[in-house]
Amino acid sequence: MRDNGRPVWAYFVLCITGLFFLAPFLTMARFAFQNVLVIDLGWSNLFENWSFDKATAAFGATYFAESLWYSLRLAVFTSVLSVAIIVPTAVFVHLRLKRLRTIIEFFTLLPYVIPAIGLVAGIVVLKPYIRGFIASDYSLVPFYAVLSLPFTYRALDSALQSLPLETLVSASRSLGATWTQTLFRVLLPNIKTAVISGVFLTIAIVLGEYTIADVLLKRTLPAFMVEYRGTDPRGGYALAVLTLALTTLLFVVLGLLTRSRHEKSRSS
Amino acid sequence: MISLKTEKGGTASKGVVPPFLLNWLGLLPFAALIFVFLVVPAIGVFIQALHNSDGSVGFGSMREAVTGQNFDAFVFSFGFSLGTATVGTLFGLLVAYAIAVTSRPRWVRGVAMSFSGVTANMGGVLLAFAFLSLLGRQGVLTKIFSALGWDLYAGDFNLGNTVGLIVVYSYFNIPLMVLVSLAAVENVKGTWREACSSLGGNAFTYWRRVGLPVLSPSIISGFLLLFANSFSAYATARALTDNSKIVPLRIGFFLSGDIKTGTDSLGYALAAWMIIVMAVCIALYWIARSRAERWQRA
Repeated sequence: MRDNGRPVWAYFVLCITGLFFLAPFLTMARFAFQNVLVIDLGWSNLFENWSFDKATAAFGATYFAESLWYSLRLAVFTSVLSVAIIVPTAVFVHLRLKRLRTIIEFFTLLPYVIPAIGLVAGIVVLKPYIRGFIASDYSLVPFYAVLSLPFTYRALDSALQSLPLETLVSASRSLGATWTQTLFRVLLPNIKTAVISGVFLTIAIVLGEYTIADVLLKRTLPAFMVEYRGTDPRGGYALAVLTLALTTLLFVVLGLLTRSRHEKSRSS
Repeated sequence: MISLKTEKGGTASKGVVPPFLLNWLGLLPFAALIFVFLVVPAIGVFIQALHNSDGSVGFGSMREAVTGQNFDAFVFSFGFSLGTATVGTLFGLLVAYAIAVTSRPRWVRGVAMSFSGVTANMGGVLLAFAFLSLLGRQGVLTKIFSALGWDLYAGDFNLGNTVGLIVVYSYFNIPLMVLVSLAAVENVKGTWREACSSLGGNAFTYWRRVGLPVLSPSIISGFLLLFANSFSAYATARALTDNSKIVPLRIGFFLSGDIKTGTDSLGYALAAWMIIVMAVCIALYWIARSRAERWQRA
């Protein structure tokens, strides 16, 4: 194909697709930060009246700080829980139960079989029996850990697959390290990148999750955004743009972290 | 052997094969998390769903969940999910092929891949807001169209209707298809093509005898994933519309008590059907996926 010269149609397809993917967020940013009615919008006033007024107003709104703080706490606790459970499991499976890898992979598909709306229906069923637990702020943590499980597990799985795991463990063990030392000083440094990307994916999922929060009436950041947009549409858009910026930043940092690691290993 | 099972003996044998039970003990935290916080709620849904409208145990609610208005909702949801999966599959393949043949500039592939990775998970409130600002009643594109003389909302267009949902869901379905199919598409355009032409095959023989047979498991598994993804999406739809023909929204309305029918179990019956549909899709996806991987290893 390459000797056909420049595949013009391919550039064309990629450009049009890129446009489709950028346009919705550009128009959302316009609504968020530009105070000009759509009906009056034209080339002449495209760059007029841009400001952060709506965003700052939204920051001051009742429940904004509270819902942001709530979502951030959920993100931290969910990441900790999911790493604490999935890292040892993934290492264990690769080390001891290679034959069972397919079965574990099947388990990681279960969150697709039981999607968030199905899961929350189940939570509503169980609610009368665990009222105290559901009323707690942190009751969402284990459910969010389950939702992020396929992503976290897949990241770790592919990292572990490329490691000579048995050799590393045997070497470490025969030099007298305990299992804990082996896990923290030998294995973790080797799968650091995968753990970090797992954590970031988990954070992104928690910051965006709306289904369970909406049905259980938990005021997380996305729930607050929908609520706030009801009273002030432009303010709602402003919050959405800022959340998007935050998440994008997260992924840029992730990209930089993983890249610097690759370059290090290439140069050494 | 049994008499040697002292504390010391245990330590010495740690590096070799541990007792059978210990294997399963290592899986316990993981299995417990999935069981308690995913499987138990799902079982709860089915237990509640298997009731009649008078509260006795039976298939009454399950039957009611697929009749009348509920049936219409399933037809609607199947319809737009099939539509958006088809659009996503076709455009996803096209974009994947475009990425595969674009060798210059070099950064195109990397950027397209990370961009797909981000947008494939871009469902939910953010996406709904973004499309409301683009194609909502006051959306920028809506106004541009009307300035050009095309009133988008003159017919029954609405972001919560079939066409609207197809457009919005394509935002995450196209990149998902790119991620799922790119490896297979790159295989197809590579050395196999040269092998085929050196054996005397033309482009038509190549696609009929090599390209499509190799690609089809990837296409089918991608299509199933996209369908399942669209059929079960709640957050995007909820922030976009209140169309109760969308099954996940319908379940949500029942759960929060917005629709009162006198029977509590109907919402759970809808959820149970949803889980059944998803189970079938994911099982088929699983089968197709393992067939697709056979070619990627080669």
